[in-house]
Amino acid sequence: MSAVIEARSLSKYYGGERGGRVHAVEDVSFSLEENRIHGLLGRNGAGKTTLMQLVTGQEFATRGEIRVFGASPVENARVLSQLCFIKESQRYPDDFRVKHVLGTAPHFFANWDPAFAAELIERFRVPVNRRMKKLSRGQLSAVGVIVGLASRAPLTFFDEPYLGLDAVARQLFYDTLLADFAENPRTIVLSTHLIDEVSNLLEHVIVIDEGRIIIDADAEELRGSAVDIVGPRGAVDAFVEGREVLHRTGLGGLASATIARLDETERIAAREAGLELAPVSLQQLVVRTTIGDTPDLSKGDNA
Amino acid sequence: MTTITAATAAPAPPVFSRIWRIVRLITANPFTAIVTPWLILGTIFLLNWLIWLIIFANLGADQRSNAQEGIQWSGAAFYIFVYMLVLAVQAINLSFPLALGYGSTRREFTLGAMLTFVLLSVMYAVGMTIGAALEKATDGWGLGGTFFRTIYFGGDEVWYVQLWVYFCWFLFFFFTGTIFAAMYVRWKASGLIVAFAVLAFLVVGGGALLTFTETWHVLWGTIADLGVVGSVSWLLVPAVLSAGLGYLVLRRATPRG
Repeated sequence: MSAVIEARSLSKYYGGERGGRVHAVEDVSFSLEENRIHGLLGRNGAGKTTLMQLVTGQEFATRGEIRVFGASPVENARVLSQLCFIKESQRYPDDFRVKHVLGTAPHFFANWDPAFAAELIERFRVPVNRRMKKLSRGQLSAVGVIVGLASRAPLTFFDEPYLGLDAVARQLFYDTLLADFAENPRTIVLSTHLIDEVSNLLEHVIVIDEGRIIIDADAEELRGSAVDIVGPRGAVDAFVEGREVLHRTGLGGLASATIARLDETERIAAREAGLELAPVSLQQLVVRTTIGDTPDLSKGDNA
Repeated sequence: MTTITAATAAPAPPVFSRIWRIVRLITANPFTAIVTPWLILGTIFLLNWLIWLIIFANLGADQRSNAQEGIQWSGAAFYIFVYMLVLAVQAINLSFPLALGYGSTRREFTLGAMLTFVLLSVMYAVGMTIGAALEKATDGWGLGGTFFRTIYFGGDEVWYVQLWVYFCWFLFFFFTGTIFAAMYVRWKASGLIVAFAVLAFLVVGGGALLTFTETWHVLWGTIADLGVVGSVSWLLVPAVLSAGLGYLVLRRATPRG
């Protein structure tokens, strides 16, 4: 397997050395393999965009090393001409209409597919003559999605691409991405907080929280990695004794705890103790991992 | 998954095509950089012509040449230079984040933007020189008026000198816009404040220096000695400085949402 992105002890701080310093990305190490769909998951402000900016050479790392296609991406034309990164908050020139975006993009992407772009414009119903400034949030996202897909860049980033898209358009994006990926394999990084919607697309998942990577695993492995046990409080407490609890919540005499995967004998033991077992979705797993084991009801965390 | 080796990237396109695509990005909507400025200039010209018509209709033959001399100092065509300054600011500020998203380096973007400004300067200088030639051929558009052949643009000079004068003016305004835009892109509002403060100190400090050393007459004398062509050529010094400084500032700039 080949790594497209390799980060070692990567950190990005904003602000001075003393007071007011913000750690946007802190001591992050990971590698992303070629020709897979990677999910970069995390809450708003977790550091997803900063991390992507570091990978694409748009930000300068405070410390650590980042290699993309084997070299530093900063001001590296050979590396940067392989990538496409339309940010969720992408700004466009004031005088640009949709057609200007789609007219200039082909100069930058060697693999640009004009027929595919035209088809996507049709499918997403993007008004090509409208000014970028006049587009709705969803239409703006759609333009970013179209550029990202039609660019066929060897390393393509989608930064919260679904913002403002309706359910039909979101499904269209997921389906198109998957179908096109099958025909034209490339490395895709999808940053999102709508985890359940994309969980079937993702092959590899990185969860970032407060600038640190807290999960870096294959999606398949992750899906079965945790289980919810539900039952009388006493029974739950007794069962989780000595285990790492990702998340715990209670209602009256009932309690529920999220714990790591159980093997077959443990599952039987749990059932015999009068406990019910329930699978944990990727989204729930991420939510629980990023909140920690103390439920905070003020954050609406009662599940 | 065994050992992880680095994936390799295909070679980048040749450097000139990487710079040229920035020119195409900035001029993607030809209205902004080419069509609109000429339309506005044409409108201003027409209005000026009508005003000359009104003035000369109300002046006797003896006052006429006096008025024609005054019109040689007309600043009507200056709008187009200010427009180019704003164009430079907009082009850099708003094309920079998109170019980087498209996978350009800062170096390619900056060189491409500067190439765009030089090419636009050539185009506008040629257009204005053609205007000046027509103005001469038609004896001031039939009224003895002056729009393109004003004192600041070389007046009665031959066409290639006039072309040079226009070219210097355009470069000066484009690259003044470049440095301010670069400061803004790199440091946002605080960058602009610093840029304006430095400019203000240079102007006020220079004025104070000339006043205290009582050398204002030397400045005016030098400008008079240099003539329009010589003085305007000196505008290339700040233009080149702004370009160089703008390049350095943009080399470490980061696109922000």
